[in-house]
Amino acid sequence: MSAVASSAAFRKLRLRNFRNFAELELSFPPAGVAVIGDNGTGKTNLLEALYYLEIFRSFRGAPDEQLVRFGEEVFHVRGVLDGAGSAREIEAAFERRSRRKRVAVNGAEPDRLGDALGGVGVVIFSPADMTLVAGAPGDRRRFLDIVLSLNRPGYLGALQRYRQILKHRNAMLRSGGSDALLAAWDEGLAEWGGRVVAWRAEWIAEIAPGFARRYAAIAGGQTARVAYASSVPLGDTPPGAEAAAEAFRAELARLGPRERERGMTLVGPHRDDLAILLQRDGGEAELRDFGSGGQQRTAAIALRMVEAETVRSARGREPVVLLDDVFAELDPGRSGRILELLEDEERGQVILTAPKESDLELRRGSLAHWRIEAGAVLT
Amino acid sequence: MAVIDDLTGELSRLPGIGRKTALRLTYYLLKRPPEEIQRLARVLEAVAEQVRPCSECGNLSEHDPCAFCANPRRDPSAICVVEEAADIGAIERTGQYHGRYHVLGGRLSPLEGINPEDLNIAALLRRLGNGSVVREVIVATNPSVEGEATALYLQKLIGPLGVRVTRLARGLPVGGDLEYADGVTIAEALAGRREL
Repeated sequence: MSAVASSAAFRKLRLRNFRNFAELELSFPPAGVAVIGDNGTGKTNLLEALYYLEIFRSFRGAPDEQLVRFGEEVFHVRGVLDGAGSAREIEAAFERRSRRKRVAVNGAEPDRLGDALGGVGVVIFSPADMTLVAGAPGDRRRFLDIVLSLNRPGYLGALQRYRQILKHRNAMLRSGGSDALLAAWDEGLAEWGGRVVAWRAEWIAEIAPGFARRYAAIAGGQTARVAYASSVPLGDTPPGAEAAAEAFRAELARLGPRERERGMTLVGPHRDDLAILLQRDGGEAELRDFGSGGQQRTAAIALRMVEAETVRSARGREPVVLLDDVFAELDPGRSGRILELLEDEERGQVILTAPKESDLELRRGSLAHWRIEAGAVLT
Repeated sequence: MAVIDDLTGELSRLPGIGRKTALRLTYYLLKRPPEEIQRLARVLEAVAEQVRPCSECGNLSEHDPCAFCANPRRDPSAICVVEEAADIGAIERTGQYHGRYHVLGGRLSPLEGINPEDLNIAALLRRLGNGSVVREVIVATNPSVEGEATALYLQKLIGPLGVRVTRLARGLPVGGDLEYADGVTIAEALAGRREL
């Protein structure tokens, strides 16, 4: 536990009208806590509130309206954090009627919401992570975009610019503008798209060995790997932004006529994927299509672990780790090996949930235990 | 009540003015002396009657050609292209530019259905046509994605005419703090860095 001093850690949380919590105030032990309760009592909602202070959105993808307690108008989430020697306060509020969101860090509203992103330094492991592996390419792009927005300064701005240009260009393709007009959008698309692609490819190359190592450790011998599946041909090594833009330009020129026919942009980071490949005799197979439930869960957990590694290196401190019932539906062998890895790697605050006490061997049972019942937490 | 409501209604159609602000402005005006309201009304009327786009450059002015186009001391070999007439003021305040202007009246935006024919581009090409003395066109559209696309489109259109086409540099604001600049701006400034 000696690393806790350089860790992010929740000290306090206050909720008002968030999901099933009318009013809740909690003080967290520095090492963390295990929250135990039946399904439907609000365990995941509690973690959702904590993670809300990192990205100001639901980690489950729920719209803000759904986070307001039934029959109420406004929710508030306020967290007090330790880390880097000073206490910080992050708060967020959302009003249903006006759909207005207010975010403040140490009492001051940032100019842009994006400036306040990633203020906690937290990674969440959840059963919903299955969709990272088994879901559609869009689910994996969302994962990449969140990780990189939080840990690579400039990524979010480039991505937003790319998306804006893409919308214009698609409108242009649908309305059948001239070649000169289309070319005016191609340049920006290639430039900003090239940056997005380069950032993603570089990050995936960086985490690939760590992913493979953790997957093998959990799966007990089987191996899997990650790669960036780009719609623009990139070659084997991650390209720089300029080379990616160059390749992107060439593809746009090649696909021009077909794009006009289809009325949409057919190539670019909005069509890419994070490939997760299972290695077996005679070749590789997409884990999404050919993996078992256990293999898919293993890959999802390995992805979250490399995300934690990225937070650690990008922000120079231990992330808070939120574990939402992660051992559900895993065989005892895999659960045990995951536990060992987490125990070994995650040295910061851990806040975990489980339906029953027996699932809680993390930190050798040293974590404080809280019970949760229908919107109330007994500490 | 009807005229008061009319005033509030008209005011709330202005950009950045919501229902509440419009009401506040209405009651503010109602408390002013009548001469003051009449003066405002006369100015509005005069503006509506007398201000027209300059037939040469599109700048809004009560004279045609406008003061910039009519001024023989303004360098006729350079044209600075801006999105809106209001942008001219920003460039003039620098005191660093002595050429002519051209106002597009907007920027390309396929999402809003704004196409080249909706902008004052044909008049710009006429100014660069046969017998033109223009040697440089400085494209000063905004650094937004729409402004950038408009600049590129103009460059493709004008480049082949043998006129030099330049673009305002992108980068950090002077007096700005690096720490507070957004990521995109810093990335731009980094990409456009210069030898010291």
